[in-house]
Amino acid sequence: MELKTQGFTVKATMKNSVVVGPPAAGAFRERPPKPTTFRKFYERGEFPMALQHDAKGNRIAWKVEIEKLDYHHYLPLFFDGLCETVHPYEFFARQGVHDMLEYGGTKIQPVIPQLIIPIKNALNTRNRQVICTTLKALQQLVMSGGLVGEALVPYYRQILPIFNIFKNMNINSGDGIDYSQQKRQNIGDLIQETLQVFERYGGEDAFINIKYMVPTYESCMVC
Amino acid sequence: MGFTTDNNSTPKSMSRAKGWTAEIENLFRFQQAGYRDELEYIQVKQGSLVDKWPESGFVKKLQRRDNTFYYYSRKRECEERDINKVKVYAY
Repeated sequence: MELKTQGFTVKATMKNSVVVGPPAAGAFRERPPKPTTFRKFYERGEFPMALQHDAKGNRIAWKVEIEKLDYHHYLPLFFDGLCETVHPYEFFARQGVHDMLEYGGTKIQPVIPQLIIPIKNALNTRNRQVICTTLKALQQLVMSGGLVGEALVPYYRQILPIFNIFKNMNINSGDGIDYSQQKRQNIGDLIQETLQVFERYGGEDAFINIKYMVPTYESCMVC
Repeated sequence: MGFTTDNNSTPKSMSRAKGWTAEIENLFRFQQAGYRDELEYIQVKQGSLVDKWPESGFVKKLQRRDNTFYYYSRKRECEERDINKVKVYAY
């Protein structure tokens, strides 16, 4: 009878034992979601917004003008909500981030340092849906204004490790159709796209910093 | 637009939009927010200017009747399937 055992033990030297492989390290394993501050604030009713339903889906009705919002307070909170996966938190966080970035203009750049931890937390959940929304938010963030891309370069060390893990998360379906491409849910493609946006908008130091964290990335710019 | 902005102008007739143009896009945005068109918006919100995207001229922000705000994208929002829902009022 064969005996299963771990490697590097006394048992492993016995003739009738079979050494089993090491357990999975779990780099891709989803981490359990933690309660978010966004949810707490939402349940307290502290956000100046309401949900409107229409035929096309949902829309946020803002109770104050977005231009008058305190970005230092609200934008990190909304980014914190990107970890959420259930309605209505998920919708409010995603749409709120989208609206604030689209109409923020110059108010976004000073808030960047406060956004890093929420972004990092969201990516670290390793939940596919959360990663997708966060990547799209990152793309919009970088493209939202003049120097935002460059302001983000010093923080690559915080956010790019997860990019590196998931960069190859793509399927080779031969000539079959991969519907996630069309729906923009293919994580590998989204990461490649996001890194290219980072490089384009990140100024001259962007490429070398990306390459340092994601060695398989190749430049998309023509010199 | 060559409209008069007196308070009792009511539309004389209504027709449905046939194809997409920039005007139809703006009417769509006004009707999403619960107004007939720019004329009614100016009547209801006395003296407020309509915020528009500089490059395309599309409506950017509207205040609804309950004083909440709707924000619109700089890109086209009125899809083909929504065009026949847009009502064009004539005065």
